[in-house]
Amino acid sequence: MGRSTKKGPFVDPKLARKVQKAGEPGNESIQTWARASTIPPEFIGHVFMVHNGKTHVRVQVTEDMVGHKLGEFSPSRQFRGHTNKKEAAKKGR
Amino acid sequence: MPRVLGVDIPANKRLEIALTYIYGIGRSTALEVCKRLQLDPGLRARDLTEEQVTQLAAVLQEEYMVEGQLRRQVAAAIARLRDISCYRGLRHRRGLPVRGQRTRTNARTRKGAKKTVAGKKSVKGMK
Repeated sequence: MGRSTKKGPFVDPKLARKVQKAGEPGNESIQTWARASTIPPEFIGHVFMVHNGKTHVRVQVTEDMVGHKLGEFSPSRQFRGHTNKKEAAKKGR
Repeated sequence: MPRVLGVDIPANKRLEIALTYIYGIGRSTALEVCKRLQLDPGLRARDLTEEQVTQLAAVLQEEYMVEGQLRRQVAAAIARLRDISCYRGLRHRRGLPVRGQRTRTNARTRKGAKKTVAGKKSVKGMK
């Protein structure tokens, strides 16, 4: 179920303030942990460093990204491929 | 066989079913269209008059998004997700389920036919 329209989209208030303070989108990136924050139109052009649980991933916000959440652009899982049979056997014993 | 909107040739079926052969028309839209044109949904598609076919085509063209146009819209939406490299876009790129379904088992619609891996323990064997 989606979020109630009455409340409007969730934009992390702290982050919104930071963006406002940054003013015009420059080269400065904003480090953040607010993965759950929706991207409002005001964020366009800004560069965010979005935490993925380990490091901060660089996200340049474009117009198409409005309405998505910051976390969607910072993958928190890394798939390195499956182990092959030999390695698996070694690990097992 | 009557042709509605160029390519679509609904079979010798009840109109409400025949219309669903058009991409973008399901049962409810089919019935809606029948009602609007005051056609009997049970009427066989082959029994439509020329005029009725034209009417159908006009309504579908004007008021519903069907066939090519709809397909393009869907493809564009997916292309957008891919371009912005959001999570859903990445899932589309990799051909994995997009809406958070499990992939340990199942997910065969997206992943295609089974590719058996030698030495992999069966699901039952895992605990």
